[in-house]
Amino acid sequence: MLWRIEQTSSESAGSPARFVRRSVFGRTLTVLCAGLALWVTATHANAQSQRRYFPLDQNTPPGVAGRWAGLLGKADGFYFQPVRVELPEAGDVTFYGAGQQATEFAAPGQAGMLAGYVYRIKISNIPRFPGAELYPTIELLDRLHPPRGRAADFPIPITFSNEEIELALNGRLITKVVYLEQPQLANPIKLDETVPVDVLGPHENAIAVADYYGRPMAIVRLGGRIPLLNGNNADFYGDGAPIAASVPNTTENDTTAELGRMITK
Amino acid sequence: MMRSYFLALSTVVIVTVGCSTCETCPDDCNGSGGGYPSVDSNMYHAPPAQHLLRPGPMVDGPGPGVLPMMGGAMGAGGPFSTQTSQVRFIGPAGMGIGWQIDGGFAEEQLTAPGRYNFNQGATYRLKLTNIPDRAGLVLYPSLQVYPAHPTTEAYLSHNPIPVQLTDEDIDQVDANNFVTKVIYMPDDEHQELAIAGVETLVSTRLDPGMDPVAEASRRGTIMAVIRIGNMDLEMADAPALAANGQVRPAGFVRQISGKNDEHAPPMPIGYIGADGKPTAMMMGAPRPMGGVPAYNPISGVGGTPVWGYPVTATPIGLPGPPHIPYGGPAGLRSHTVRNLTKTHIPGPTRDLLIDVKHSPGINLPDPVNYVQYEERHYGAKHHEHLKQHRASQIEHRTILDGNQMACPPGDLQ
Repeated sequence: MLWRIEQTSSESAGSPARFVRRSVFGRTLTVLCAGLALWVTATHANAQSQRRYFPLDQNTPPGVAGRWAGLLGKADGFYFQPVRVELPEAGDVTFYGAGQQATEFAAPGQAGMLAGYVYRIKISNIPRFPGAELYPTIELLDRLHPPRGRAADFPIPITFSNEEIELALNGRLITKVVYLEQPQLANPIKLDETVPVDVLGPHENAIAVADYYGRPMAIVRLGGRIPLLNGNNADFYGDGAPIAASVPNTTENDTTAELGRMITK
Repeated sequence: MMRSYFLALSTVVIVTVGCSTCETCPDDCNGSGGGYPSVDSNMYHAPPAQHLLRPGPMVDGPGPGVLPMMGGAMGAGGPFSTQTSQVRFIGPAGMGIGWQIDGGFAEEQLTAPGRYNFNQGATYRLKLTNIPDRAGLVLYPSLQVYPAHPTTEAYLSHNPIPVQLTDEDIDQVDANNFVTKVIYMPDDEHQELAIAGVETLVSTRLDPGMDPVAEASRRGTIMAVIRIGNMDLEMADAPALAANGQVRPAGFVRQISGKNDEHAPPMPIGYIGADGKPTAMMMGAPRPMGGVPAYNPISGVGGTPVWGYPVTATPIGLPGPPHIPYGGPAGLRSHTVRNLTKTHIPGPTRDLLIDVKHSPGINLPDPVNYVQYEERHYGAKHHEHLKQHRASQIEHRTILDGNQMACPPGDLQ
């Protein structure tokens, strides 16, 4: 192509008018080529930025992401990561540990969980939804690294809003990915007590987005299935992994934890 | 010449732009789309979730996504899959729901709205009674509970499958029509809302000739199918049928009712796979519950066909007669299957280089290499004053915060 441009310019040297006209052609061609080169470069750069491979997404069967986290060495069988479950209003939070042993707290409830496992919890006695019981699951993918001896003061906050509870009661499945935000990508705004929630579209990979903005810590799934009295509930409570008591040491005025962010699907 | 040149250039541009954007080729996007992405793109793609469970097409066994043994050894949890699907009979409210048991029917085991956990991968015969405003009407629909699929496993372990009979459905059944309702989880491209939910396809609302099961399977993953007709399965002079289709003497017919606080689990009348056919061993281990025979048949066990074996023995391993008429010479000389799938499966890495770089880098002061110390004593001359010379002043500084340094009070500058 470049050879063709030079050839055309040399041919038009004898005629000033044609030279000018073909010079415009040449410039246009040069601009087009430069634009094409820029486009190819930008496309390549864009493709490079999206080359990260995410085999997991929010539709992955429960337990797979936790199992893969275990394969990556994030599962520490001796560290119980505190998890705090917060409700929009008053209510009860029940954690199910090994052998379906239930431990109930008034909201917010906090317990230590092992990374790599899926835990079933129960939220109930919510004043706005009388009689409603929901059994979300928490799939813990990673752990935090708090100051020594203050693990209970830095739990992973998991919140449920009234809208999410209403959607779950109406047959919807809400999947939330809780992540610890990356300082370089965090919004420089002061956060209040509530954990910010970003809602993604159905085509987006929530785990990939969470991984981009920080470190995915947990996958929370909220639906309307409940255990039945006369039904087969053998698989309902999952792995039966143990939980541990976790009581924060700080007072109410102290900062309890760095707030994470959640992505809802 | 220039015209042809621009024509060639525009052709190059169009060909190059082609299918490089997600808008034009959504399957190429790195997401959870249900399509089969091309490997021509510069982006990497994960195979569909169901393919992660098997090593390849037409090959059974644990795939790269099945690592429970290793995961357990590393201290992580196992899969959180459920073997049952909770079906929620929404309405009409007050309707009694029973089901077929061994030797009869268990009536009114539930009252709508009610729920029950049905074992997956099986078909059940229901008995619907006390339908409001339909005095004397008893329906015997079949409920086909599909096995969990990787795309529906999260939903089924957290949500019930909603089943509702509307007045329109019952009117259609009353008018001798056959109603098929398919409850399915739409794929991402068919989801309207960001929050996952199920949809129901009703045969009476589709165009004539359209198969609701096939249509639902095209749009997503089927979780349950309920088929309703108006055939009476308990006619007075009809012999009772056992589960295997044999006639059962009337003296052995069981009839229990939830009104008398009698309960019995439903008995499957058939077993199915995700595609409505006998399934492979990846369905999971059989788990009999309450007298219910094992579902999810194991390949090669109990009369279940062995996975991958042809039904009919032919020279080329395909079912059907290879040559007609029988006894004549074989007409088929060759049978070739070519796999034209574009694949790029890289080999193992031979040499790996990892460059590690801290930013900002590590910057420490030079170590002290010279100290001059002079000491003045009382009675000495005035010019022998204390003097401290530092070849490098940095060793007296105190590091406060990484890059900030300050001199302690009284230090000489």
